[in-house]
Amino acid sequence: MKYRILLLVAAVSLIAAACGGDSDPTTTTAAPGDGGTSAAPGEVIDIDFWVAFSDEARLGFAEDRAAEFNTKHPEYNIEVTSFASYNDAFDAAVLAVDSGEPPGIIHFFEAATRQALDAVGADGNPIFKSVTEAIAGRSEILGEPVVLDSVVSAARDYYTVDGSFYSMPWNTSTTVMFNNMDMLKAAGVNEPPETWGDVEDACEAIMGMADAPSGCITWPNHSWFVEQSLGQQGELLGNADNGRSGRATEVYLESDGMLNYVGWWKELADNGYYTYTGLQRDWDGTSNAYIAEEVAMLIYSSSDTTFFDENTTFDNQASFMPRNEDVAYVGNLIGGATLWMLDGMDTATQDGALAFMNFFSNPANAAAWHQLTGYVPITQDAVDLLQGEGWYDESPNSKVASDQLAAAENTPASLGALLGNFVGIRDVITIAIEDILVNDLDVATRMAQANEEANKSLSEYEQLYGG
Amino acid sequence: MLIIGLVGAALVGPLYTWRNSDTVSVRRFGIASAVAVAGAAVSPIAMGQCGFAAEATGVDALFAYGLMAGGALLALMALQALFDRADGKVKESTAMAGEIRTGGYRMGWWVPWLLLSPTLIILLVFLYRPAVETFTLSTQLTRLGAPKSVDVCFSNFTEVLIDNPFKLVLYPLLAIGAVYGARFWTRRSLPGSASHRAAGVASVAAMLSVFVALYAMFSPGGGGQIAYRPIYINTVIISVGIVALGMIGGLAVAYLAFRDIRGGTLYRTLLIWPYAISPAVAGVLFFMIFDPTAGVFTHVMDSWFGIDVPNYREHAVLAQGAIILASAWKILGYNILFYLAGLQTVPIDQIEAAVIDGASAWQRFTKIVLPALSPITFFLLVTNLTYAFFEVYATIDFMTKGAPAGKTSVAIYEIIRVGVNNGDLGRGAAQSVLLFIAVIGVTLWQFRTSGSRVSYGGA
Repeated sequence: MKYRILLLVAAVSLIAAACGGDSDPTTTTAAPGDGGTSAAPGEVIDIDFWVAFSDEARLGFAEDRAAEFNTKHPEYNIEVTSFASYNDAFDAAVLAVDSGEPPGIIHFFEAATRQALDAVGADGNPIFKSVTEAIAGRSEILGEPVVLDSVVSAARDYYTVDGSFYSMPWNTSTTVMFNNMDMLKAAGVNEPPETWGDVEDACEAIMGMADAPSGCITWPNHSWFVEQSLGQQGELLGNADNGRSGRATEVYLESDGMLNYVGWWKELADNGYYTYTGLQRDWDGTSNAYIAEEVAMLIYSSSDTTFFDENTTFDNQASFMPRNEDVAYVGNLIGGATLWMLDGMDTATQDGALAFMNFFSNPANAAAWHQLTGYVPITQDAVDLLQGEGWYDESPNSKVASDQLAAAENTPASLGALLGNFVGIRDVITIAIEDILVNDLDVATRMAQANEEANKSLSEYEQLYGG
Repeated sequence: MLIIGLVGAALVGPLYTWRNSDTVSVRRFGIASAVAVAGAAVSPIAMGQCGFAAEATGVDALFAYGLMAGGALLALMALQALFDRADGKVKESTAMAGEIRTGGYRMGWWVPWLLLSPTLIILLVFLYRPAVETFTLSTQLTRLGAPKSVDVCFSNFTEVLIDNPFKLVLYPLLAIGAVYGARFWTRRSLPGSASHRAAGVASVAAMLSVFVALYAMFSPGGGGQIAYRPIYINTVIISVGIVALGMIGGLAVAYLAFRDIRGGTLYRTLLIWPYAISPAVAGVLFFMIFDPTAGVFTHVMDSWFGIDVPNYREHAVLAQGAIILASAWKILGYNILFYLAGLQTVPIDQIEAAVIDGASAWQRFTKIVLPALSPITFFLLVTNLTYAFFEVYATIDFMTKGAPAGKTSVAIYEIIRVGVNNGDLGRGAAQSVLLFIAVIGVTLWQFRTSGSRVSYGGA
């Protein structure tokens, strides 16, 4: 009898322990001070800042700025969490909103702007709040000057949707070409190539040298380069002005601009000029090939300008991304990511998040970020500051990206597309290009197939999100 | 359309009971008929009869009938268990378990359930509920953070298959027919005769015909269908390669390391290390070895032997070979561990007797060691195959990302690419259901074929 009671007690306590473990988080979620209500005076307000960088330099930059802000504003505590990729951070944020513990700010990339605007929580409300709307015309928040008006036009135009900044620009770059001038000059080419024809001529000269490298040029098989080329040639990727005058419901992967570019790419590969590393989105492999002098030219993101300046042992010169000489140049677009503020914070918390984002991109911080990486200085004030310090005379390569963006016309083509399911569509494009490069397929046929897949993908997205 | 299915179930119910029960009665036939209809009706009710809708294709209807048949069969099997209990027909093994269980019944029927409940709750929350949700998701078009989702019936499944319902029924029937035909032939022919040997060949051919049937059932793409056939081929090649290389290599190394060697314990411990490495790290390691720019292997081949090694990621065979090598190497330590343990159970007296009888080392290995190891081999076959199906994503993602042009994209890689990276939850779920069915199918098949040949020693 005694034994039986003991057994029962044990069983009951086990169940209690199991259920207790489950119910604990629920209690915390319901606790006051977390969502709707304001924090009591004197209490430190925590704001989670999710960053999609995991390398020491860039994540470290964010952590250092957060620490500085926390010292300056002791009533706030900005807590940086690192994620492996933009998608990981975004998925985690959507789930966190549904479970009631969202972060304050997340770092999300340009191609998913449409997806971020469309995202809703389980209650059907948008997850993010427009920063323009939240700032509401103030020129400073908690003593931090608002820098939104000073944002350089390329980034402003890209991220302005329906006349307002939804997110706060941070890391912004464009594609530039890095040239091994020692090698080019040895082959008798004294200036970096500007057009597709120039590239072919330079490659012919380089590959004709006695000690020719294994290839002439490389760049990652990433859809961003395709989009850049479409912008240069003034071609749209999606309808409704690249999704900027309305929702894009159709993509054009068979346009002349697309076929020109992919055709040129394949021709370079067929001639042995273009080195394909064999991996999609291979930033490391292409960068290594350039540093190891296995190729003379590298088309890449300007975000690594400082890295190439510091890590090359040859004369490394940056230049504009080569363009198609047969059509008029329209403009290159930006790439990178912005900071999105989550909706549903109380006024004090939201002001803290806004103040931090403006502090994060104040002229000194924006200039330091540019110098650390090569991402363009995000505000005109930061450009002026760098100019005053003589930075551009010291490192002329760092100016190329800003100059290229300034040379662009402000048209829907050169602004870049806002598309639903852009990540999936990009995947369709890179797979098609890999297929063309590796299996020697006909460009028009394969892109027609890709076009069909991409349009199916977009129409399914619009079925879920569109009107 | 729906009525045909339900009437069919009503007829099959009594038939099933008649075939399986000791005692038959009109009442039982009636119950069986009703239960079969109820089982068959579950899926059309849950899915709103979408498989029979006006715009549904023949393949949709096929799926709907398939689910109805499955539901009816499950219901009948459960019913049969009740009938058997009523008949007092309990199998020997269950009878033994029953004797042990009686202790619990003295305290009331609910006590065992109470004691089990912590485990059951955890299983329900973390295993069964997600599994059921996967099945629900697989019939939807949906994304994370989307304001709504759309029911798409079976289209996430039908789009990876060919669109001819008759062929979809015919091919598996032919393959099953071939397998049973070969088995029948093997049983009827005398062991040692030419006919028996021919039957052995036919069994292998029949086994291969299952792969061929599946190949023919998956869509080659085009016409709005997803090209799943190449993914199926990649999965078969890479999984079979990993399992074969991993197990043969594991046994070979374990057999060598099992001898008495100075420092053998340390040496054997070191052999197991690769197992402690994650699939991602294995991918990075082999990437570093074979990378055309920075790779050690390519560098050595080029500078020492003057051989220009091509970029493995641009050639299907090399890329698949590299994935197989990296994944087999990673599982090798695990296989060695189990084979080392297994080798200790090989009866020494039999080997000594064989030596006296003049059996060669190879004969001793194939006639004594291998059969003694068969339980281990069987266990490893299942675990290695599960590994090859489910855990190669990270290795592939680091080594090839599916290159060249999807030639190393296996089922699990495709699931994560579609479902996680592209956020298409419905298709991802549907493809994981396919993989789930594949693993269940392969495991059942192994239990039926190799299971019967496994010797656990003893009687």
